[in-house]
Amino acid sequence: MSPIYLEAAVVVLGVFLLALEMFVVQGEKKILAWLGIAGLGIVLAASFFVDQTAPTGAVPSYHAFYSTDSLAMFFKRFALVTTIIVLVMSVDYLGVVRKFTPGATAHGGLGEFLALPVLTCAGLMWMASAVDFVMIFVSLELVTISFYVLVSYTRRNAASLEAGVKYLILGALSTGFFVYGITWVFGLTGQTNLEQVSAVFAAYQGSTAPLLFAFVLLVIALGFKIAAVPFQIWVPDVYQGAPTPVAAFLSVGSKAAGFVVFIRVLRTFFHATAIAHKIDLLLVAVAACTLVYGNLAALPQNNLKRLLAYSSIAHAGYLLIAVASSADPASGGAIAFYLAAYLPMTLLSFLVMIVVANYSAGDDIADFNGLSKRSPFLAFAMLIAMVSLAGLPFTAGFFGKFLVFTVAIAQHQTLLVILGIITVACGFYYYLRVVKAMYFEPDTTPSGQPGGQIPVGLLTRVTIAVLIAAILVLGIYPKPALGLLGSAAPQEAAGVLRSVSPQVVLR
Amino acid sequence: MPPLLFWTFAALMLIFGISVIAQPNPVSSALSLVVSFIALAVLFVSLDAFFIGIIQILVYAGAVMVLFLFIIMLLDLRSGQRKKAHAVTVAGGILIALIFVAELGQVLHAFPEGNRTAPALGAPVQDVQSVGHVLFTSYNLPFQIVAVLILVATIGVVVLSKKELD
Repeated sequence: MSPIYLEAAVVVLGVFLLALEMFVVQGEKKILAWLGIAGLGIVLAASFFVDQTAPTGAVPSYHAFYSTDSLAMFFKRFALVTTIIVLVMSVDYLGVVRKFTPGATAHGGLGEFLALPVLTCAGLMWMASAVDFVMIFVSLELVTISFYVLVSYTRRNAASLEAGVKYLILGALSTGFFVYGITWVFGLTGQTNLEQVSAVFAAYQGSTAPLLFAFVLLVIALGFKIAAVPFQIWVPDVYQGAPTPVAAFLSVGSKAAGFVVFIRVLRTFFHATAIAHKIDLLLVAVAACTLVYGNLAALPQNNLKRLLAYSSIAHAGYLLIAVASSADPASGGAIAFYLAAYLPMTLLSFLVMIVVANYSAGDDIADFNGLSKRSPFLAFAMLIAMVSLAGLPFTAGFFGKFLVFTVAIAQHQTLLVILGIITVACGFYYYLRVVKAMYFEPDTTPSGQPGGQIPVGLLTRVTIAVLIAAILVLGIYPKPALGLLGSAAPQEAAGVLRSVSPQVVLR
Repeated sequence: MPPLLFWTFAALMLIFGISVIAQPNPVSSALSLVVSFIALAVLFVSLDAFFIGIIQILVYAGAVMVLFLFIIMLLDLRSGQRKKAHAVTVAGGILIALIFVAELGQVLHAFPEGNRTAPALGAPVQDVQSVGHVLFTSYNLPFQIVAVLILVATIGVVVLSKKELD
């Protein structure tokens, strides 16, 4: 069975959920989320049994657009896991959604909130496989357009609407840059398939100016997706205004898919050896700006959602260190492991935030004051997430950063390593502020019932436990995961970026 | 196509393109955009791309812009309601646009292949037929994804434009 059926199954699942909502499920909509989770779980399991080998003989027409390499499979599974956890979050968040959406009945207007992430997941999976600019563009647009809707979903909330408009306008602008970049690539090469573009680039003799121009246009658009500085202006406002599960989805799913496309486009452009040195310089500059801006701007934040938005920018910076050190064969593995660590810790902090915010009706850091007394379990989960985001040892975040710095040192990226270490220290301050609020501040919640337990649903409880376990296992005993990544994801990613032009190492 | 006609329509397209953002009245902006689209369609036709030219007029100038006009009139936007833009913002915007144009000029200057004249097409191209053929054979997968995209967009429109019931 070809992996192409995985996306088809996800789309069918999304449409099935929509139809079910319309014709069958009249009352409680949570059943839709559970069906969605079950369906995506089955697809995830099936993804381990698909036949990855390229078809021989008569090549199906989709093969020029759709890669089945291990990089694609890794990010497909990544998208599936992310969407499953986002659906778990959505169940807890339905009350807030209901409050801020118009609807005639008590459960009106909720079904689409659970079905749209499933369709978005199909887009993310297609992005992971896209090896043709046409395919990249349509799958990217599928993801972006569903995020426009999801971000502004709670439209009675002015902040959500504002976030939606900002995301729409800036997203449309970045799409414009992307299409213009594709136009230049097509004009230069007459091809849209990345492999064929690479072949033309490798033999390219003319002026480098148009090549660089096309590259910069594409970097602007993809930088917007991965929230790299200076294309990050939208991030804090959109994260804060968007429904919390959507913010989590944006910061994990959309970012990871952006990175896989970025990696593929970068690999294509490295074939043009004449500009490789300049690409390296640009990557170092963007990575340095992203690191410094994300970490410094996070310092004064008092709202946890905004804090996580800046943290998402900062983590894009660490990932970009690995991208900038892509001459190292281990950089692909480092990127994959970093993202695999980033998934549980970010989703865990968003999940705990949803549960706590449901109870105390706010997502400022002050709302977490004394959480350890109100709910030791949630406080412990948040502690693990924050410690891992900060990168303390025995957590997944530590090994992610460790691998990134290892490849950066091997590639003599002195500037980025120094900046990275300084900004990690900044990170301790703002992540541990949340821990301080939970464990050392008196319980000052305005809800009138301090000391009361925060109710946590069974599904949420299990998910939190699994995420904690994932962070600790990846942090204490990462070897099996690294081995798994070594054989599964990064074989392809191992030389991810620079397999073909090893001579262009930035020294 | 004689160069004179090309320059005429290219200039028309640009002038009305500027007019879209310069007009204070949204209805005039929308109508300027229609003229700009029609001039662009003429350029497509002059390149023997009849199908894209016709679609440009039918879909963009026809359907999309008429819908735009409807919405503008339904919303009853008045020209006087616009907030005055800050001078620094305007200057910054113009500066960025100028930098971009300068960059583009440099790139085009360094790109002699851009001046190459493509050989004329031998036989007339069956462009509707070839577009349809390519769309349903080699570009089948992206075409299917566009279908999902349109589904998502439709759901989004319904969700976001649903009437307040209370």
